[in-house]
Amino acid sequence: MSEALLSAKNKRVFTDPFSENNPITIQVLGICSALAVTAQLKPSIVMGLAVITVVSGANVIISTIRNMIPNKVRIIIEMVVVATLVILVDQILKAYAFDISKQLSVFVGLIITNCIVLGRLEAFAMGNKPWNSLLDGLGNGLGYAWVLAIIGFLRELFGSGSIMGHDVVGKLYYAGYVNNGLMVLAPGAFILLGLLIWVQRTLSKYVED
Amino acid sequence: MQKHDNTYTLIFVCIVALICALLLSTAASSLRSKQDANSAYDVKKNILKSFGALKENTTRAEVESFFTNKIEGIIVDAAGNEIEGNANEINPEVEAKTKTPENRLYPVYILKENGVRVAYTIPIIGKGLWSKLYGYLSLKNDFNTINGITFYKHGETPGLGAEIAADWFQKNFVGKKILDQNGKFISVSVVKGKAQDYYDEPKLLHHVDGISGATITCNGVTEMLKKDLTNYQPFFANNRESI
Repeated sequence: MSEALLSAKNKRVFTDPFSENNPITIQVLGICSALAVTAQLKPSIVMGLAVITVVSGANVIISTIRNMIPNKVRIIIEMVVVATLVILVDQILKAYAFDISKQLSVFVGLIITNCIVLGRLEAFAMGNKPWNSLLDGLGNGLGYAWVLAIIGFLRELFGSGSIMGHDVVGKLYYAGYVNNGLMVLAPGAFILLGLLIWVQRTLSKYVED
Repeated sequence: MQKHDNTYTLIFVCIVALICALLLSTAASSLRSKQDANSAYDVKKNILKSFGALKENTTRAEVESFFTNKIEGIIVDAAGNEIEGNANEINPEVEAKTKTPENRLYPVYILKENGVRVAYTIPIIGKGLWSKLYGYLSLKNDFNTINGITFYKHGETPGLGAEIAADWFQKNFVGKKILDQNGKFISVSVVKGKAQDYYDEPKLLHHVDGISGATITCNGVTEMLKKDLTNYQPFFANNRESI
């Protein structure tokens, strides 16, 4: 059976995780890192990129060898592949984006334990072809990344009055603005994330069964 | 789902492990030099920052050339004598872990203007609330006035303890004195709240504003300054006389 590379079904595989099946706002996975690295916009974006790379890479690799993997050790094999990719990403960040890798510190390494990654491998890559798995990985990675970017943007704006490290509030709002300390702490992220989930679920008319 | 026997499983796992190990070791060894260069550059950047010589738009090349041309790294022993060697060879953390204070070697970075030593920077390491704090403290050549301070590595709470890395906190230290009027070493302490609410001149010279919500981190900074500056007092005393 052959089907077009971008058939309607494949498009759904790619776009569903953006909203109707978003890993963070609908499945509520990957919350820990979403809270931890989003105090500023730049690390949030880099973290999003790192997760996109890891999810899609791992999806393709696992999907390619899915028929060779002995069933009883499949989780171990999946973890080994994920861990390898994550360490590679970490090493590359240390070599080419040192300052950001310092900011992200342990959280790059913790992508290994991000439920989104293992979740996609188990739920999708083990039963689908590499191309579809790549789309699924990219879709889920992007679905994760845009949520992080929004939270990072809002937290940096209200918590530090800046965007990407550039002072914004101070330049636009002369009446004076006191940085909201709650926004730079994890509870601020938690509240924002809750609001975002609410808005997103209302818009996509998602109902929990 | 096909059945695989144990031999197959074992071989499969070994092959996967081997491939991953090969990939990682290749990546690690080929990126090593670049990573080391990055950390070394980060250290240099922070030493420069402690001297107050780092601007926002200072390029990497400028940092490197400034470091080679104007900064001298020396080693001193616990008695305050300069000994042969390069400051970069000394890891203060390893020294502190493996030796008693009398036997340790201490690195000092010296800023030179036209061959004259104008400022001295020492590494400071201490404990915050969650993590170790790493930084540099720079003194003017009277070995009394603080020239600048920087923290380059820590794992404190963002927005609270992590504010030690912020400019407003570090600026408070500039111009403070580590000796009292009689020349006795008393270091500089971080207070809870605003220093001027508690102290008047001349005591204000030994206290800086704290960070609200980060008392333990601030106490850590006070402790590490006292501890590390104490170790350097012999060196400072020797050189103070020679001025």
